[in-house]
Amino acid sequence: MPEVDVDEYKDIWVFIEEHAGEVAPVSWELLAEAKQLMDEKPDDEELVALVIGSDVDDVAEEAIARGADRVLVADDPIFEPYRADPYGKQFRELVAERKPDIALIGGTTTGRDFAGRVAVPTHAGLTADCTQLGIDDEGHLEAGRPAFGGNVVATIKCEAHRPQMATIRPGVFEPLDRDENREGEIEHVDVAVEEDETVTEVLEREVGDTADITDADRIVAAGGGVEGDLSPVERLAEALDAEVAASRKAVDEGWIQHARQVGQTGKTVRPELYVAVGISGAVQHLEGMNDSDVVVAINNDPNAPIFDHADYGIVGDLFEVCDELVAAFEDADDPQEVLA
Amino acid sequence: MTDNWTVVVGIKQVPDEDDVTIDPDTGTLNRAEAAAILNPPDRNALEAALQLKDEVGAEVIAFTMGPPTATPVLDLAVALGCDDAALISDMAFAGSDTWPTSLTLAYATEYFDADVGIFGEETTDSSTGQVPPGIAAHLDWAQLTYVEDLDPRPEDDQLVATRDVEGGHEVVAADLPVIVAVGYGDNEPRPAGLHRKLYAETEFEPIELDAEELGIDPDEVGLDASPTQVGGMDTADPVEREQKVVDSVEDLAAAIAEEGVV
Amino acid sequence: MTNSTDNGTESADDQPARTPPPAQPNYDNAFDAIVVGAGLAGSAAAITMANEDLDVLMIERGAYPGAKNVFGGVMYTPTIRDLVGMDGAPIERYVGQRRYAMLTEEDEVSASMNIGDWHEEPHNDSFTVLRGEFDEWFAEQAVEAGATLITETTVTDLIRENGYIVGVKTDRPDGDVRAPIVVLAEGGNSLVSEGADLKAAPDRKDVAVAVKEVVEFPGDSDEIIEDRFRLGDEDGAAYHYFGEGAAGKSFGGGFIYTNDDTVSVGLAYRIEDSISQGINPEKRLNEFKSHPAVAPLFKDARTVEYTAKTIPEGGADAMPDLVHDGALLVGDTAGLVLNNGVHLEGTNMAVESGYHAGKAVVEAFNSIPATERTAGAASGAATARADGGMVIPSSHLQSYPDRLEESFVVKNLEHYEWLIHRVTEDKELLFEELPEALADAAAEYFAIDRQPKQVHGERAKERVLGTLGGLRGLVKLGWRYRKLVR
Repeated sequence: MPEVDVDEYKDIWVFIEEHAGEVAPVSWELLAEAKQLMDEKPDDEELVALVIGSDVDDVAEEAIARGADRVLVADDPIFEPYRADPYGKQFRELVAERKPDIALIGGTTTGRDFAGRVAVPTHAGLTADCTQLGIDDEGHLEAGRPAFGGNVVATIKCEAHRPQMATIRPGVFEPLDRDENREGEIEHVDVAVEEDETVTEVLEREVGDTADITDADRIVAAGGGVEGDLSPVERLAEALDAEVAASRKAVDEGWIQHARQVGQTGKTVRPELYVAVGISGAVQHLEGMNDSDVVVAINNDPNAPIFDHADYGIVGDLFEVCDELVAAFEDADDPQEVLA
Repeated sequence: MTDNWTVVVGIKQVPDEDDVTIDPDTGTLNRAEAAAILNPPDRNALEAALQLKDEVGAEVIAFTMGPPTATPVLDLAVALGCDDAALISDMAFAGSDTWPTSLTLAYATEYFDADVGIFGEETTDSSTGQVPPGIAAHLDWAQLTYVEDLDPRPEDDQLVATRDVEGGHEVVAADLPVIVAVGYGDNEPRPAGLHRKLYAETEFEPIELDAEELGIDPDEVGLDASPTQVGGMDTADPVEREQKVVDSVEDLAAAIAEEGVV
Repeated sequence: MTNSTDNGTESADDQPARTPPPAQPNYDNAFDAIVVGAGLAGSAAAITMANEDLDVLMIERGAYPGAKNVFGGVMYTPTIRDLVGMDGAPIERYVGQRRYAMLTEEDEVSASMNIGDWHEEPHNDSFTVLRGEFDEWFAEQAVEAGATLITETTVTDLIRENGYIVGVKTDRPDGDVRAPIVVLAEGGNSLVSEGADLKAAPDRKDVAVAVKEVVEFPGDSDEIIEDRFRLGDEDGAAYHYFGEGAAGKSFGGGFIYTNDDTVSVGLAYRIEDSISQGINPEKRLNEFKSHPAVAPLFKDARTVEYTAKTIPEGGADAMPDLVHDGALLVGDTAGLVLNNGVHLEGTNMAVESGYHAGKAVVEAFNSIPATERTAGAASGAATARADGGMVIPSSHLQSYPDRLEESFVVKNLEHYEWLIHRVTEDKELLFEELPEALADAAAEYFAIDRQPKQVHGERAKERVLGTLGGLRGLVKLGWRYRKLVR
């Protein structure tokens, strides 16, 4: 194994993921958390944001406003749209040149796609899908991640290798608000990739037509109990100003698109309110929503496991319950009126 | 490269999550009783590979990196239609994290002269999803992850994939050779044919490969070659829920309003 | 790298070259017999055939043998003991205690026995078992004897050629496989046999519905069970109940069996009663469990499993033809179940029938000269087959039904055949009136007040005899059921 002098490695890097100028929310969440980690780091080290893309000056400026001390920008049309090989190569070159101590990447399909391309050639330690970050007494990164379906939290360390890399689950940390008065340095770096070196080509990219439920504050999810009729769920979602989601059963039956599936084979969500309508509560589903603040369950089976994992539940016909709930909330201008 | 593509599929044996129970009194996990099964996303990987076999006559070889007790997953791969399967096993691999694991599988991919290496999106026991990109990085090959659908174009030496990304999808063309990670649940796995199942379960013996045969230096794999170590494992506190079941919808609406989440 | 052995002949390089998988493996006629279902009857047949070096393929639709079995129950094991021995058999408890009880809605009158001999090996060959584990173990004995077992594969139909059954169709792709003999051990829901016209769909009155719950107790469940049922740590109890308080106004009864750390409780009753009286099985079971004499046994119990199944009940009269050209029927599929309210037996007969069927198949093969086997015709058979496979006419398999008739299987069925008829005729008396009369009589006889004992005794006697039709009625009833003790 290559010997590495860990003392040579400094700074915390955060990859800012953007597509066509739109930044993925997880990047700001990560920047905020990294800023906290900086408290445990020597004062001479910096929080560096890494922006790779095309025409990304405003992204770089926002990174400063959101907490970065320095932004490294690789700006070139070769980087739009995203592809693993040019992003991987660019990041790798920068890592080799600048030796960051810690590099954090949001655990999106993009982040998880190219993180390995950096970690492997640099023989870095990469911990994936983290939900907790810390720095121990010796200055090593402690990356916590769920294992065995979320029932265990494993803490991973990488003591002898650098950089210490981690991909972080979106929606776990809170972003910092923009502070326009913050100052920092924006540095443009050399582009290390040529088009004829690339081995992939994006033929088509269509986003925005499907919802991203991972951002929603409130979700109403449909399960097998709706038996093909999503209207009660949709109406309730509208009344509560919530996104519509679904269990695997509903998606497998073809009643709703896969992008709205919550669970082990779908998305992980952490809304303030999660209403499970006609969902039995299988472990694979729970894994995707168990960190919601408040869980409400509506099911006609009193023995359904979901009731053990809900804060409030009601046993009844979901079609009736949803309609009544809609009436209760729609009539009230102020939700607090419901309490009267 | 030969006329027909050579496709390898990396599969893994994992504990069956459905059998892993939570003791209702203590909240701890009980894995001991869990049966060993094929990692469910690998079913989708095998299906994608077999579809390539159907469409362009690819030769499909499955392999697994594991102890000799992992051979049932290879039997299943052959029963489903793979042309052959290999067990990659060596004491030197013990304790490997994703770095030496992806290195080993990269060597195996090259050993079989593969044009395409297909893997499941992640394993249900580790869930990192980092091995396929790691393999691509070790080999410096193109990679396609979160794949919903594959469109082989042998005439162009390319594999085109539809990727499932946040908020939508992408269609990406990759030059061969390429590593593919198939999205969990993104295709309909076929059942094994009766006679192939009989063959696989009664007569089939997998190819056996160890570190030496693959040309792997033992210092590059195993616990000592793993950059990450597990510092600790704590049972996550089960999420505390109120578990209040109410009698009327009015009560339910009131509870929701009181929580202040609408 | 070479090994230095005495001869120095073997080295890693000398190992035979490995044959890669064939492109299209084919097992048609690679097996001598296909057994449909790896339950008790199927495994017994497979063990018997494999022991005599026949190549046997067992096809099981569940994920493992026993996965699809629903069972009370107590297993009677003399034949299993003879076939493979009981070493390593996963049993829960041996039956050390039996109880027969009559229940009205509120009362119980019972007779209980705890026999010293039962507590010694071989424990009267009566054990409570969990079928998933037991069937798996028993099928493993078949595999160890040389049989091949595949699971998660459902046989959907038989393949027929020129009137002979020459193989089976399954639900898998490329799912047909041929063999000269097919043993149908499908269990109570014998859809393949019925679909292939080897037996008629059961008459509604000939089938019983059984519902069962498995419950456990919080904490040291096994110790709580031993306390409640007055057991040691290896013995168990088998309780049978009938009367209105058990299965309601129908022909049937309830049962409670103790396993190691769980208890099975359930009901079995005729399907025609269930439909005609609108009995909801789940509700009925809950009412049985709530009976004042039964409920204390289940205090704090937690249900871990709930299942239902149909049991053929027809008796000797309802047995289909057991042999056909190329096929044999065994176990529940052959209607070999004894259920007369007092005895519930199906497993013992399943194993016995599988054994005899297996023997018959072995004899059939042995009677065919080797030359004729490959030529494609069994001696006396009508046709040679195009694919070179052999056919075996039913005449060669006749020893199976013959031996079965001599065995306890058919003898018991016939012996109690008339009992089923009798009980059906006397249903109201036996299941409703008599339990009530006995309970009232008991209450009367044991009533404590200031009247002389004699008065109570008289009234008790009147209560019972009144129901039976006086002393003459009692004698007549005894006469009707004399065969029970003949």
